[in-house]
Amino acid sequence: MSALPRPSTIFLAAITTLVAVLLYSPLFVPIVSSFFTVSHGNVDWSSPTLSTYVALAENHDILVALRTTLVVGVCTVILSVVSGTLLALYYHGRRSGRSILQFIIFLPFLMPPIISGLALLIFFREIGLERSLLTVVIGHTVFVLAIVYRTVLMRLQSMSRTLVEASYDLGATGWQTFWRIILPNLSSAMVGGAILAFALSFDETMITILVTGTQSTLPVRLWAMMRLGFSPDINALVALILMFTVLLCVLAARFLIPRQMATERS
Amino acid sequence: MNQNTDLLTLRSVSKSYGTVPVLHDIDLSIKDGEFLTVLGPSGSGKTTVLRLIGGLEPLTSGEIRLDGQDISRMPINKRPFNTVFQDYALFPHMTVSGNVGYGLSVRHIKRKEIARRVAEALELVQLGRFADRFPAQLSGGQRQRVALARALICQPRLILLDEPLAALDLELRRQMQEFLKSIQREIKTTFLFVTHDQEEAIGMADRICVMQAGHIRQLGTPHDLYYKPNCEFVARFFGENNLVAGKLGPVQGEQRPIETALGRLVCSISGQPHLKAAPDGARAFAAFRPEALRLADATDDGNRLYGTIADLAFAGSSTVATIMTGADNAAQRLRLRMPSRIDGSALKSGETVSLCFAPHEGHLVLA
Repeated sequence: MSALPRPSTIFLAAITTLVAVLLYSPLFVPIVSSFFTVSHGNVDWSSPTLSTYVALAENHDILVALRTTLVVGVCTVILSVVSGTLLALYYHGRRSGRSILQFIIFLPFLMPPIISGLALLIFFREIGLERSLLTVVIGHTVFVLAIVYRTVLMRLQSMSRTLVEASYDLGATGWQTFWRIILPNLSSAMVGGAILAFALSFDETMITILVTGTQSTLPVRLWAMMRLGFSPDINALVALILMFTVLLCVLAARFLIPRQMATERS
Repeated sequence: MNQNTDLLTLRSVSKSYGTVPVLHDIDLSIKDGEFLTVLGPSGSGKTTVLRLIGGLEPLTSGEIRLDGQDISRMPINKRPFNTVFQDYALFPHMTVSGNVGYGLSVRHIKRKEIARRVAEALELVQLGRFADRFPAQLSGGQRQRVALARALICQPRLILLDEPLAALDLELRRQMQEFLKSIQREIKTTFLFVTHDQEEAIGMADRICVMQAGHIRQLGTPHDLYYKPNCEFVARFFGENNLVAGKLGPVQGEQRPIETALGRLVCSISGQPHLKAAPDGARAFAAFRPEALRLADATDDGNRLYGTIADLAFAGSSTVATIMTGADNAAQRLRLRMPSRIDGSALKSGETVSLCFAPHEGHLVLA
């Protein structure tokens, strides 16, 4: 960068700032306006207030949807972390069949969600499984499995093969090696993958709409509310979700940076 | 600990990866309590030998015997050997004492006993103060010593070391060489040390096993390998050497002449019956070390050589002269090493010199 002449550096800085403002300022509008009263579609900037948050806390439908979302998220995380880790362990170092498996795991993640959702919906109907929170959890797990699998597999691949050899060499059994060497070295990747999986499950909308029964998750609930018109407590909700998501991302990044690097930096 | 009993024997051991053979019919005996170095260039199969003994890889054919018992199929975690890996393979999520105690704790030894033996082992490698550190907080030399402590705490019959000093800088490597040797003397355990560095091998080993292309070329003391190499590869690989090709003449007692392009050279064959048995006219090399070669004076009656000094290189305690000799169509480069002198070398580049070496300082190698 420093090799560039000064005018072009300034130009680049200006472009970068403009792009950043255009892309990200819409995110801050609901946060800011959640602290003010809105009447007839206009924000009243003169009186800051927390009334939108109070209204949100009293909105029973929203709170129920939030609880549903959390239940689905936690179940999805447990299912996807366990199965993603097992798959990664099974296919690590195995050549045959791995590329096909990876393709299948990644397919739902890469396909348009509406296709994945429809495929699941048809599948559930064929096997006679009632639409419920269970089908939502299954749908989300199929969707986020790729992320967990990939995260754990990458950690496995970066783990030195000699660690496992050293463990056996020192007299450990396969079981001891798994619990005392492999799993502890994977744990931060598993936590990181779990956080990402939770974040993905938290805002998944399309698949959820298609496979859910009578209960709706938070994004689905929001979707329904938007159709009826813009209510100020949505601003508060968006602000809260944004903050929550940022927190999750920071946590995920923390766990996904290898321990070695973290120690060397400190 | 009797240095004369065999601890471990490899009998016609072969190893292939797929269809690619990496070891051909290896026979090797390791004596109880010795420091044996397996030396060879990369790709010679030396690390494979170590991995087969450690049980990290299965044999393709042959057998490995420990105290006469076949252990070829014994799983790695049952073998009474421990390995110091090239990358140390310390467990990053455990402290130094966790790492060192691992071999004991997987055997369900009591906590108190583990703590005592870990402290002992760390004391031995002089790392007592670092017990609660994590591997990432240690220097290369310290990690190396943790790996060593972790290997020897289980009191193995044999410690396998896979180029453990390769990642260290020169000064540290020298210190670690002395350190390893002194530890080996103290705990009286057999060490099998793999390296590609012949200086390292000379400095530490009781015996050296030279490997090339999946074969053992020579097994002997460093002194034997240096002064009585049995083939051209060992003569060239092990230390600096001058080799002059020629044909053997008739045996003269403990000496034998060889007719070369540089004239007739007489070399010692004492203690090497295969050189005595070789037929007249067999192709061979006269081999003499740079430090055996010296400037001749009128009274010298050893092997005479003539040439021109092409280069003089000052190397601290010694100076090495590169001398071009022989006719144009058979030019040969020889090296001469002599002690350096404070008032500069008596030789000058481009000077014509007369050289000699005594017959007992030259040896023969069959081609």
